[in-house]
Amino acid sequence: MWVYEKKLQYPIRIQTPNAALAKIICAQYGGPNGELGASLRYLSQRYTMPYPELKAILTDIATEELGHLEMVGTIVYQLTRNLTPQQIQEAGFDAYFVDHTSGIYPADANGMPFSAGAIAVAGDAITDLHEDLAAEQKARTVYDNILRYCDDPDVRDPIRFLRAREVVHYQRFGEALRLTTDKLDSKNFYAFNPEFDKK
Amino acid sequence: MSDQEKLLRRIRASQFAEWELHIFLDTHPNDCDAAKKLAEYQEKTAALVKEYEQQYGPLNETSGNTSRWAWITGPWPWELGEEDDG
Repeated sequence: MWVYEKKLQYPIRIQTPNAALAKIICAQYGGPNGELGASLRYLSQRYTMPYPELKAILTDIATEELGHLEMVGTIVYQLTRNLTPQQIQEAGFDAYFVDHTSGIYPADANGMPFSAGAIAVAGDAITDLHEDLAAEQKARTVYDNILRYCDDPDVRDPIRFLRAREVVHYQRFGEALRLTTDKLDSKNFYAFNPEFDKK
Repeated sequence: MSDQEKLLRRIRASQFAEWELHIFLDTHPNDCDAAKKLAEYQEKTAALVKEYEQQYGPLNETSGNTSRWAWITGPWPWELGEEDDG
């Protein structure tokens, strides 16, 4: 189970609304490389994972990703408050607004609703850990691209925090992969699947 | 930044250090130095939370000194304190 902590992992106070920026930051709420996909990917992979370290790191990183989902939702919420229909149209946010008003909906920057098609659960520890390492780098790339379009320090600061967390998670998953191969057949890591084949 | 915000920032920083050590220990479960450091930060956080709650009131729903109604009071974490709660 989970218990809610009534605070953000990192504080966010955005003074100036900016719907054009919200439109691209949506990518990390409901897009293919976003925080919702990250948390669901790790939460789903962990059930059949071998080794206590892997179950722990997937559970904990998935939990932190839920906190990041809340941070991204907070950024989009604060960027789209107190706007007139005209300002929304000028910012190119009207296509989103027509269906969702200023509600926060998990879709990518083009408005495509969140899809579990963007995550994978192969049920093979080596395969899934490589998926996780790639996912952290893809999320890092998206944050780097968001930073190219963002000069408001109130937004850059939490985005840079989230970007740094992707790098830390990549490091932890790298250690998890090393722990896994250390326990497997050193002559052939792929000799059997530790999540399925009973050795 | 007010004294209250400064103290809250120190609490957040200490809790963040706890979390970093927590996930580090997931993949380094035999690292006694990291486990010791985690215990130090847990103590530090607890002391800071106590100091905060004595001055500014309850921080968590689980705090002994809160009423169960304090939980529903804004601002919620995503809010700026300017929301109209009716």
